Amino acid sequence: MSHIIAAKAGERLLLMGNEAIARGALEAGISVAAGYPGTPSSDIIERLAGVAKERHLYVEWSTNEKVAMEVAAAASFAGLRSLCVMKQNGVNVASDFLLHLAGSGTRGGMVLVPCDDPGALSSANEGESRHFARMLEIPLLEPGDFQEAKDMIKWAFEFSEEIRNVVMVRSVTRLSHASGSVVLGRLPRTERNAFFKCDGPALDPMEGPVFSMPVTLKHSQQQKKLQQAVAKFEASPFNTYAGPENPELLIISSSACHLYSKEAIHMLGIADRVGLLKMGTTWPLPPQLMQNYLGLTDNILIVEEVIPFLEENVKILVAELAPQIGIKKFFGKKDGTIPMVGEMNPDLVIAALSKILHIENDAVPEIYTSRARELFSAGAPPREMTFCAGCPHRASFWSIHNALRMDNRKGFVCGDIGCYSLAMLPTGFSTLKTLHSMGSGTGIASGFGKLGPFGFDQPAVAVCGDSTFFHAVLPALVNAVHHRSDITLVVLDNSGTAMTGFQPHPGLPVDAAGNEVPAIDVVSVGRSMGAVVRVCDPFDLQNTQKTLLELLEQKGVNILVLKQICALSPEKKAWKPFEMSVDAPTCIGEKCGCNQLCTRVFKCPGLIWDKQANVSRIDEVICTGCGVCASVCPSAAIGKKEVA
Amino acid sequence: MQVFGSSELIEDVFNKDLCVACGACVELCPYFKNYKGKTVMLFPCNLSRGRCFAFCPKAEVDLDVLATRFWNTPYEGTPLGKYQNVLMARAGEKMEKAAFQAGGTVSGLMTLALESNLIDAAALTDRENMVAVPRLVTRAENVCGCAGSKFMAAPTLSVINRGAIQGYERMGVVGTPCQITAVAQMKTNPMKSEDFKDPVALTVGLFCTWAVDTRKLLPLLAECIGDACIQGMDMPPPPSEIMVIDTGDHRVEIPLERIRPMVPKGCRVCPDMTSEWADISVGVLEGKPDWNTLIIRTETGAQLVKDACRQGYLKTKPILAENLKHLCVAAANKKKRALIRARDKGLLNTSAKDQRAVLRLRPESAQKIIENDPEEQCRIS
Repeated sequence: MSHIIAAKAGERLLLMGNEAIARGALEAGISVAAGYPGTPSSDIIERLAGVAKERHLYVEWSTNEKVAMEVAAAASFAGLRSLCVMKQNGVNVASDFLLHLAGSGTRGGMVLVPCDDPGALSSANEGESRHFARMLEIPLLEPGDFQEAKDMIKWAFEFSEEIRNVVMVRSVTRLSHASGSVVLGRLPRTERNAFFKCDGPALDPMEGPVFSMPVTLKHSQQQKKLQQAVAKFEASPFNTYAGPENPELLIISSSACHLYSKEAIHMLGIADRVGLLKMGTTWPLPPQLMQNYLGLTDNILIVEEVIPFLEENVKILVAELAPQIGIKKFFGKKDGTIPMVGEMNPDLVIAALSKILHIENDAVPEIYTSRARELFSAGAPPREMTFCAGCPHRASFWSIHNALRMDNRKGFVCGDIGCYSLAMLPTGFSTLKTLHSMGSGTGIASGFGKLGPFGFDQPAVAVCGDSTFFHAVLPALVNAVHHRSDITLVVLDNSGTAMTGFQPHPGLPVDAAGNEVPAIDVVSVGRSMGAVVRVCDPFDLQNTQKTLLELLEQKGVNILVLKQICALSPEKKAWKPFEMSVDAPTCIGEKCGCNQLCTRVFKCPGLIWDKQANVSRIDEVICTGCGVCASVCPSAAIGKKEVA
Repeated sequence: MQVFGSSELIEDVFNKDLCVACGACVELCPYFKNYKGKTVMLFPCNLSRGRCFAFCPKAEVDLDVLATRFWNTPYEGTPLGKYQNVLMARAGEKMEKAAFQAGGTVSGLMTLALESNLIDAAALTDRENMVAVPRLVTRAENVCGCAGSKFMAAPTLSVINRGAIQGYERMGVVGTPCQITAVAQMKTNPMKSEDFKDPVALTVGLFCTWAVDTRKLLPLLAECIGDACIQGMDMPPPPSEIMVIDTGDHRVEIPLERIRPMVPKGCRVCPDMTSEWADISVGVLEGKPDWNTLIIRTETGAQLVKDACRQGYLKTKPILAENLKHLCVAAANKKKRALIRARDKGLLNTSAKDQRAVLRLRPESAQKIIENDPEEQCRIS
């Protein structure tokens, strides 16, 4: 049984932040959880899917975040409690629905958990979800540690039912993926019954139809709910203060940043000079509470990540409260005390505090920094980001890159989000020339494919993954076919949402909980739209290149599905199809005629250049035996033997 | 001969649009590939010297080095190059009628060369879906399948490179002057390898004034003949200004003014009309559409022609003085035009350190070629 339900109430466990959130949702008695995979949020749905049977839940990896939110909303309308999970940019995708949902209101408690990625450790952006709470006018909570991650979720569900609206509980990477100590609460015994009552009086929030109209009426009702939130937040235990009665400096912080601030204060030994106000309820800010603490000193430092959301909201409050509390001196992002991009960490807070309080402090001694710099450049080998050994994308981009070169019309590839985003780097032969959000590769290519009348004559190619195909490519593909755009779409089908942990998607015959479900066939969908669709195995380099060269010359929408399972999928990892070897005498790597093609250009991690012997060889530990390098070697020095 | 690497090749030939897609740089390594008549570099190679540059007929071709290797003299610049004899020729009775170009001389010679094991494979040019493609033919009966001029630049030499790797040791090549020049450079062992082996035993060069870029010609062909099959192509001699395409049931004429813009720039700096570095050179014979002009240059060439005549693969007759003179004047004119153009474009005998040349020869010889009057020169020849 999963450890998040095996332990009893009152027990203390070491839980990952995401596990604490999942446990909190279980303790709140959710019935439905929906999301789309996105680091650092994916584990929440995975843990809930793992206990779906025992806890009688419906857990879904939806096609995209908008649909996920709609699925969770349906459960809420039927009186059940539902959880909706995504990474920061998932909220962008769901935002149109969220705008209307916040207007129409909800019934059963509904909590939206976006997990942001400041510093973009696993994202192509460091966008923020917090602004949506303010913009779409729903309450925002931010857990500051792991216990709070669990407790806040439970409380958020109760509060969501009180105000009949979505509550956002926002996490970040360093909470979601770090672990801490959590004391468990009780799991509920009773379950709810689902029924959507919608034939009552038109404006009845629990029995009438669910609309965001009449808009001004509903909107002012929505704003009243926010005022209810403010009243609750004034006395919330999620807002805490630690420090002297008359601090020199007040730090206002939230989320993981409050932990960094705590650590910085401790390391500098200034707990008697600096007060730390940790806000757990960050939108709307409770003015009474803020007034109490803002009155303690005139110097305010706001510590948060990326964009100054908290900072600006505090400044607005201070402007409103000026008659009572006077003018304040602010330190934060706007004045450059802390950076406006990237993650925060204790060192940055220490540097800020040292500057503000005029403390002599070298977080890292200069001599250490200079020695480290020397050693780093001389001693640490440069490590580029790379596709795994055996990754089908390496083979796919080898063919796509070479086909475009041979086609010789300056064709290019519009990329998309997934492991294959790495194809903008040498590991994918720098093939991608644009990279934006999910599905944008096809949309952009569809635009390029209509520029013929303006003299445009370059082949426009888009790539996408199998999960991305369903998430966001479909509308762009319809657009291309319907408007007769000349594009080639390469669907890199590796049988899973690989980048985020190999979750299932609508193209696969299995769902989040492991049940058998109908798979939707990419090839049939493409053909029914009217596109030309061909399928190849990307490991068959010759056939893939030949097919691609043919498609590049054809007008209209041409789809090439490159089907080969991800190297990290459980079924692939279990066996090695080929035993690979390099015949040293045949290897001409250092001569005219090769110039180390396999290790200098193809660069699979399973291939090593032996500097002493001046030949290539196979790293038997890393090599997965996919066999592709045998087709790459120009002198057939790489052999492959089928493993019995 | 100065040898550089692939970056210089890209700079000097590809970026200056001088590539004639001869195929000399293709199949030596995985970096250069030819697709539908266009040679491209897939990835940069960082070697400072390579065979691609050494073999390329548009990169640092030193005519004196070649003339010394082949004839033991510096390059003289005579219109037709060095030769033993010029005859008129056609395929003999042993050769079954096929889609020969003019007399079918090349088909006859190559068939015997394979039949008699003088060569173990022949690098020829076939046609597939309108595109000229290289073929390494190993059986004598398959030679005629490649008969007929293609007029499109095709990477025929790529199959020589692949053939050498596959172990063929005595290959024959039928090529245009640029291709024969590339093979001539190959034969000089420009990389000075210790284990150098010349895999080419026979070169048959064609006459050529210019070729046509495949990628540019294909849409024009499609427009003129749709998806019909091409049985034959021809360019009748001046004053006719047309290219003729024979599809079997139609004869389509395309005005040369539509073809001329499709001539690769590299052809304009080519001084060689009759494949001066070949064992045998073959071309049309003015006024006699089913005969060829045959130039015998080397002992190997002479022996093959003798054997071909004796065994019925070839028939020869003395050539008329008038024909020889016209050929000479045309060749001298091409040489003169090419040197003038190369000089004007700064591609001849460059001296600056980072300015590489297309052609090198003794300045006095270059001057003579540029200044001479072809009619005058051919009276003496």
